[in-house]
Amino acid sequence: MARRTVSVTTITPTATADTTNLVDSTYPFVLQGGSSTQLNRIWEVNITGQAASSSSPTFMLLARDSTVAATAGSNITGFADAPLDPATVALTAAPLTGDAWTTKPQRSSTLKLLNCSLNAFGGNFFWRANRVEECPAVLGNTASLGEVSLSAFTGGTVGAIGPHMVYESL
Amino acid sequence: MPLLFSKRSLDGFVEIDHRESPGFTEAEAVAAGRSYLIGAPKHFKAATFTCSHCDQVLIKNPLRTRERAHCIQCDRDICDPCGVTLKLTSVCQCQAKRINEFMAQACRAAV
Repeated sequence: MARRTVSVTTITPTATADTTNLVDSTYPFVLQGGSSTQLNRIWEVNITGQAASSSSPTFMLLARDSTVAATAGSNITGFADAPLDPATVALTAAPLTGDAWTTKPQRSSTLKLLNCSLNAFGGNFFWRANRVEECPAVLGNTASLGEVSLSAFTGGTVGAIGPHMVYESL
Repeated sequence: MPLLFSKRSLDGFVEIDHRESPGFTEAEAVAAGRSYLIGAPKHFKAATFTCSHCDQVLIKNPLRTRERAHCIQCDRDICDPCGVTLKLTSVCQCQAKRINEFMAQACRAAV
């Protein structure tokens, strides 16, 4: 029942096709349920463009994963997953977030949740749900409902971004 | 005086700020699904809704005039593909139902 924010200070994602392994540290993060019955809801996604010098159309997608990640590794520098409220108590089965896994996640070709495309050279993308019924749900921890990823789709010229996502575990 | 409920109060919010950015060329905008963001400066703000049947977040096109698909069983707006499916099957697959079914299945598996 606590909201958390998962963020990366800066990352230049790699454009990756659907149903292809998302290589470590080339995408911001995945969010996977902490147990087979855990429900997580996504409240907010923000991506701030950080490209320094040239037009960088970056096609970011929040989508469910058809192959879920397994066995966490070391996340990219600047990765953080923190509660919004300092009084938050750690869950017994905390949801998993990160961008480095032994078994790589793969974005589903059909279950896209939010198109977050922006030009990373000076652009900014922000989305927020208003009520809990409007939050996409992450259900359990298996494919395809149990994991979502934020990653770059093919096309464009990806640039550096600083993304964050607010989610709530129920 | 009773407060009037408006379904618009359920809407989410999206903002795409390209005021300090080159934005998208026509080809890039098509590739990104952002035809309203061609060129710069563009500052786009709009309401969004989450399709009750597939969880996809959709921007409410402010220029749309045709009717939006709506499920009277869950009383929520749904996306056009789910609207077609609903018309063909008359089956509501709203988020609450899907969660209930998933949990029931998980409980049965645990027994």
